[in-house]
Amino acid sequence: MTVLAKKMPAGEFTRKELMVVALARQVSDGMVCIAGTGLPLVGVTLAKLTHAPNSIIISETGIIDGRLEHLPTGVSDTRFAYRASVWWPRYRYCGFLMKMPDKIDLGFLGGAQIDPYGNLNSTCIGDYYRPKARFTGSGGANGIATNLNTVIIMQHEKRRFVEKVDYLTSPGWLGGPEGRRKAGLPENKGPVAVITTLGVMRFHPRTGRMYLGEYYQGVTPQEVIDHTGFSIDVSEAVEMEQPEASAIQLLRQKIDRDRIYI
Amino acid sequence: MASLVMTCREAVQKFVHDGDTIAIGGFTTNRKPYALIREIIRQGKKDLYLESSGAGGETDLLIGAGRVRLIVNAYLSDGAFNKIGRRFRMAIEGGEIEFEDFSLDVQPLRFHAAALGLPFIPVRHLLLGSDLEAKWGIARERYELDPKLPPAKFLIRENPFTPGENLVYLPAPKIDLALIHVQKASPDGTARIEGPEFIDPDIAMAARKVIVSCEELVDPEELRREPWNNQIPCLIPSAVVHLPYGAHPSQCVNYYDYDPELFYLYDRSCRSNDTYQGFLSEYIYSLPDHQGYIEKISPERLHGLKVGEKNYLENLSRGNGV
Repeated sequence: MTVLAKKMPAGEFTRKELMVVALARQVSDGMVCIAGTGLPLVGVTLAKLTHAPNSIIISETGIIDGRLEHLPTGVSDTRFAYRASVWWPRYRYCGFLMKMPDKIDLGFLGGAQIDPYGNLNSTCIGDYYRPKARFTGSGGANGIATNLNTVIIMQHEKRRFVEKVDYLTSPGWLGGPEGRRKAGLPENKGPVAVITTLGVMRFHPRTGRMYLGEYYQGVTPQEVIDHTGFSIDVSEAVEMEQPEASAIQLLRQKIDRDRIYI
Repeated sequence: MASLVMTCREAVQKFVHDGDTIAIGGFTTNRKPYALIREIIRQGKKDLYLESSGAGGETDLLIGAGRVRLIVNAYLSDGAFNKIGRRFRMAIEGGEIEFEDFSLDVQPLRFHAAALGLPFIPVRHLLLGSDLEAKWGIARERYELDPKLPPAKFLIRENPFTPGENLVYLPAPKIDLALIHVQKASPDGTARIEGPEFIDPDIAMAARKVIVSCEELVDPEELRREPWNNQIPCLIPSAVVHLPYGAHPSQCVNYYDYDPELFYLYDRSCRSNDTYQGFLSEYIYSLPDHQGYIEKISPERLHGLKVGEKNYLENLSRGNGV
């Protein structure tokens, strides 16, 4: 992100595109990332084609370092594995995740609800046994949240940013800095950022609670407070740098030219 | 060696029983044994237990057709085509099926344990601190009483070799039947998966019975020239069924890409009971067999999904407007 890069004027890109750019900025060159399909994959692909050409994408189906030319519609799509290094049997991926979590820098997750500590629900709304709405369930998210630093993608709405999630699918910082140790989880891993439709949230190391790091142009910190169902610190918030025009162009003309996700 | 080849109808009649615990190969939209699933539905098999991992529309179909009593689940989606299996979702919201939740890490490990003949597999950290640990979809007493289920969801016990360290002990599933679609098989039961294996060799080894369907039925000598490329040996399958396009509408490496049009059609049909029953009737019940299905979809359209060097079609129309 050089100062010379041409910035896109506000109003000429969508919120989804902005989220993808914010997501891509979490990936620095050489990082190894687990990304499912959808916006995370679009974001990591954008990073790979711009500032992080040596980053590596892993799919929970066991695909390591695909050189994607066409966006896959799912994690088992052969498009995800184009020119990949390996496509393992599934148990090998599980072993890799458990045995060598330090080889993986980031995992990307999404969910229906999130609490102040980044605990995530992708299972159901309402009672688990007779839910109002049921979703896919964990997928690979539980294992990723257990073993890795994560970046979470969310729609920023009050009903989704809640004091307590209806079902805790993927552990974040649990109840605070001691939470993971007490539960028997690796202590030094957990959620590092939440990319939302309003900005980028981060977590205070001392409390494990979410705070507003950056908000998009046209969004105010008050708007973030209004759309969050728990108290959120906005005192350190700054406006996010606008996306580069070239990044938006790449997204539209190359990465998601079929408009599957953006 | 005796031939294991039989028709799809015979194989399902002979080896699928009401109440069986079934594990299905492939992953969401890749190499799913759809033709076998459609025949199971056609024959009215019911009360099935599913040990599931990376499930897609094929599992949603079984649930939607009312054939599933219980599902051990980790994920059920057709990716961008149908993000959450709609009939799975409705069945749980309506209290129509029993379910248990694991993750895509735990399920392959449980299958691997079962394939090795182990009673359980211990893992570090997984499930801890989450509701996958705290809330059991299936009650403890149910685990203890139903011989078809493992004795518990899991147990947390100290590592006997490292006192002070707790491990999560995952019991191996008890699988009656594995359904696997492969690229090539021979009448003796030897099977070759070209492309990703997913969980398939493990469920083949874990199950009491295995039905293998294949794109091409080939002479055993062809597969035996390179035995290191075969995953399922002649000793394992109970039946081999020749079903070209047997994974349609999912992908089959070296053969065909997925069929977005059919995935979207299925997704739309799920939205009301009338349209769903219409889909089942049109694509399963009213057709005599898989040959009837191929004619219904049309051989030309299927041929149009044939892949080349890239193993997918670059210009396949995949947007939501299909």
